[in-house]
Amino acid sequence: MPERLLLTGNHAAAYGAMLARSEVISAYPITPQTMIVELLSELTASGRLDAKFITVESEHSAMAACVGASAAGARAYTATSGQGLALMHEMLHWAVGARLPIVLTNVSRAMAPGWSIWSDQSDILSQRDVGWMMLFAESVQEAQDFIIWMYRVAEQVFLPGMVGMDAFILSHTAEPLIVHDQEAVDEYLPPFEPLYDLDPAQPRAYGGLVNRDHYFELRYKIYENMERAGQLLIDAGEEFGDVLGHKYTPLEGFMLDDAEYVLVSAGAMTSNVRQAVRDLREKGIKAGLLRVIAFRPFPVKQIRRILGGRKKVAVLDRNMSAGHSGIFAEEVRSALHGQSDAPPIYGYVVGIGGRDVRVETAHEVMDDLLERDEPEMALFVGVKGLPIGPLRADYEIRPLEPLEVVR
Amino acid sequence: MSGLDHVDNYPEIPVSLAPTSTVLKTGAWRSVRPVLKTRTAPCNAYCPAGISIPEYFDFLTQDRLEDAHSVFMERNPFPRITGRVCPRFCEHGCNLAVATDEEPLSIRSIERWLGDHTAEVPHPNPAEETGKQVAVVGAGPAGMAAAYYLRRSGHKVTVFDRRELAGGILRYGIPEYRLPTEIVDNEVRKLENMGVEFRTRLALGADLKLEDLEAAYAAVFVATGATGQRSTGIAGESLLEPGLAFLEAANRNQVSLPGERCAVIGGGNTAMDVARMLQRMGAKVTVLYRRTLTEMPAIDEEYERAVEDGVEFHWLTLPRRVTKLGAKLLVTVEQMRLGTPDESGRRRPESTGIMREMRFDGVFSATGEKADTTPFPDRLRDAQGWLDLDVDGATKDPLVYAGGDLATGPATVIEAIVAGRNAARAIDAELGFSDRWPAVSPIDTVSPAEVNVTYVPHHDRADDPPAVTADPFAEETTTLTAADVLEEIDRCLSCGYCNSCGTCFVFCPDGAILWNNGPRIDHEFCKGCGICVAECPGHVMVLVNEREVSHA
Repeated sequence: MPERLLLTGNHAAAYGAMLARSEVISAYPITPQTMIVELLSELTASGRLDAKFITVESEHSAMAACVGASAAGARAYTATSGQGLALMHEMLHWAVGARLPIVLTNVSRAMAPGWSIWSDQSDILSQRDVGWMMLFAESVQEAQDFIIWMYRVAEQVFLPGMVGMDAFILSHTAEPLIVHDQEAVDEYLPPFEPLYDLDPAQPRAYGGLVNRDHYFELRYKIYENMERAGQLLIDAGEEFGDVLGHKYTPLEGFMLDDAEYVLVSAGAMTSNVRQAVRDLREKGIKAGLLRVIAFRPFPVKQIRRILGGRKKVAVLDRNMSAGHSGIFAEEVRSALHGQSDAPPIYGYVVGIGGRDVRVETAHEVMDDLLERDEPEMALFVGVKGLPIGPLRADYEIRPLEPLEVVR
Repeated sequence: MSGLDHVDNYPEIPVSLAPTSTVLKTGAWRSVRPVLKTRTAPCNAYCPAGISIPEYFDFLTQDRLEDAHSVFMERNPFPRITGRVCPRFCEHGCNLAVATDEEPLSIRSIERWLGDHTAEVPHPNPAEETGKQVAVVGAGPAGMAAAYYLRRSGHKVTVFDRRELAGGILRYGIPEYRLPTEIVDNEVRKLENMGVEFRTRLALGADLKLEDLEAAYAAVFVATGATGQRSTGIAGESLLEPGLAFLEAANRNQVSLPGERCAVIGGGNTAMDVARMLQRMGAKVTVLYRRTLTEMPAIDEEYERAVEDGVEFHWLTLPRRVTKLGAKLLVTVEQMRLGTPDESGRRRPESTGIMREMRFDGVFSATGEKADTTPFPDRLRDAQGWLDLDVDGATKDPLVYAGGDLATGPATVIEAIVAGRNAARAIDAELGFSDRWPAVSPIDTVSPAEVNVTYVPHHDRADDPPAVTADPFAEETTTLTAADVLEEIDRCLSCGYCNSCGTCFVFCPDGAILWNNGPRIDHEFCKGCGICVAECPGHVMVLVNEREVSHA
């Protein structure tokens, strides 16, 4: 029988890894992820989870241990955050190239310096191009369920996947959680069957040197499998509903049918954006919400279909790519490129470094969106002393000194 | 945070005027805390006198010679003497030598330097006169040490000795080339200057009666040494020259060589001294010893120097009979072999029955000396004739003490000094002054596994340089220079004693060690990571459970 418990996002993630019957867990504690590691080590030590818990001295080693375990045929799980994910970067590539369906939970945290433990998605989005699938959870339930959903797809395409959740707002907030019946999860997620069996009797080198005549093809197949994962996420999300009672999709709409103004959001701040949309509807403004759940593979076609023909689209980014814009805005803009009924895309950067994104913040964005005629790459919301708007055109941080030419 | 209400007022990077730890009181995270704890260095633990060696080394590096000297004098008043003749018990425990493959600190050489450079520093003025008179019988190292501590404590002290000059074994036993007489003279003079009275040519038993001394003095300490010749059990024993008597005569320049070829029977330090003295007088010397080098009791250094002098050693060789053969002596020796260990743990020599003969011009016996306890009444002796003493040397009679070789049989100078000090302390306490002796702190030795040898310089040890002299009886070594001493002390890990090396200060990642002539741990910010404990060369810090200190 499923259990209904009051748990934090971190503890839900640990339950997700347990329900998925992760066999090897290797992780290094870091705020705000530490509770995941603590609970998993307790579950492992108590025997409730039959897994090998490998303690390591760094996140780089944690992922290396997962790579080894997964290559040996074990279902491997880890969790990290911020600087830890950055340190893992090299090994993240390895998991992809070695085609190892490892699942990782990243509790998104702002990057240092200045040191910050607060919510900010720049850490996970910096790993955009390593070739991992990426899902963004909004609720405690999703922090648990997305791990199971992710394994289901990852083990079909032999690509790793990470589940992002926001520091504190989700990781440390307790909500009711349905802990699924283990038998039902087992029915949904069959045991992992690796691509290759490691056999000490037949030693081979995995992931060795590949010359120019083969590398391209291997990468092409990774690309193909990532594409395939798009449909598999939809299918596996349906199955999740059939077997475990809640259907998941790569995108989620709210009051979208007749919406003229669409707010796009991802992660835990979406709850507040959703409330703002409700409020706006009461005021008679035709607002709607599009939540991006799957970031990799990015649901380009669905986004084109959903956003085509809208009056204005505002993308809220709790991250920023200096020199361009918020990263979700960038992705949405690129998805809609060349489409005849593409709406103007307004990029809004909000909540950097854990600054609150409240319902009121979403209202401020909508007010600005309604008034603003021309779309902007990045509109900054809440920088002290500045109104919502693009970068100051006239501002020079340090004027260039004229060169002294030495003859 | 005024001014930070507008983006224009922000700096480019987060900079604060204080470390973030001054805002975050990270000490609250701590479950264990480092605590500075003075512990016992193994050199200190191995030293019979318990000298606080790292402490006086620290004073030497701070150019505080007088402080170094007074730390030393608390335990041993004669660094010039033991700095030359001590078998270096301390160095055998040196953690540096155990934790690395390097030689131990040259502690005795530094002690010698200290002694030589404080030779003219007068002894401290005695404490307030107590009006008590104490008799010390025997002016050797035990008696002189007892006299020093008793006089320093304010008692009148009279030291009696059977010979014409004070010094005992230091003057009449140890050869000049190891310990110059001038040094002994100086020590006697310094004792006289502090008010110790020496009365010589008075022998206990013949000239002095113990019961008379007991009646006339508030307390008596007897340390008449062990100079009686033990019977060798060799047939023709009367043809042998007793070794210690030979050394005394040699030190008085009242001896001539019996001929070129000499033999010395025995393997102790007296045997080494006799052999080397003969060799220096021009003889070719052979030591006959019934066991092997492994079992030989002489200290390694003396054996090595004897070999350097040209002395030959015949192992497993036991003289059985000595007879006259014209001007020569014919020594019949038996070849021995090693059997099972005896009660001292050394393998016992066993007969083989194989005999051979050797010829010498003179044969010297040095098979051990015994103490003469006949001046003591039977009630003060045990069944074996040994004095019946407690650890401080107290006899059954009130305020009658004995110590040194008299109590232990032949031992070392430092052990005699310790006996003298122990007796002085016990007598002082019995006379009503127990409070002026510091309590003995329990031994808590820093082990080699605890020290960190990474940060001490690694260079060769500085030994006493050999003297350049043509005179075979002049002192054979010289004293290190001050620069050599300081360089040698640099190698010291300062086990268990904080010498303010600053390693903890440098390594603390949280700036939680404050510095004011030494480390102080700032518990508001110390997270208890233990890095200071791991890095401290001498392991002067220990981690204690926070619960034990903050909830005590």
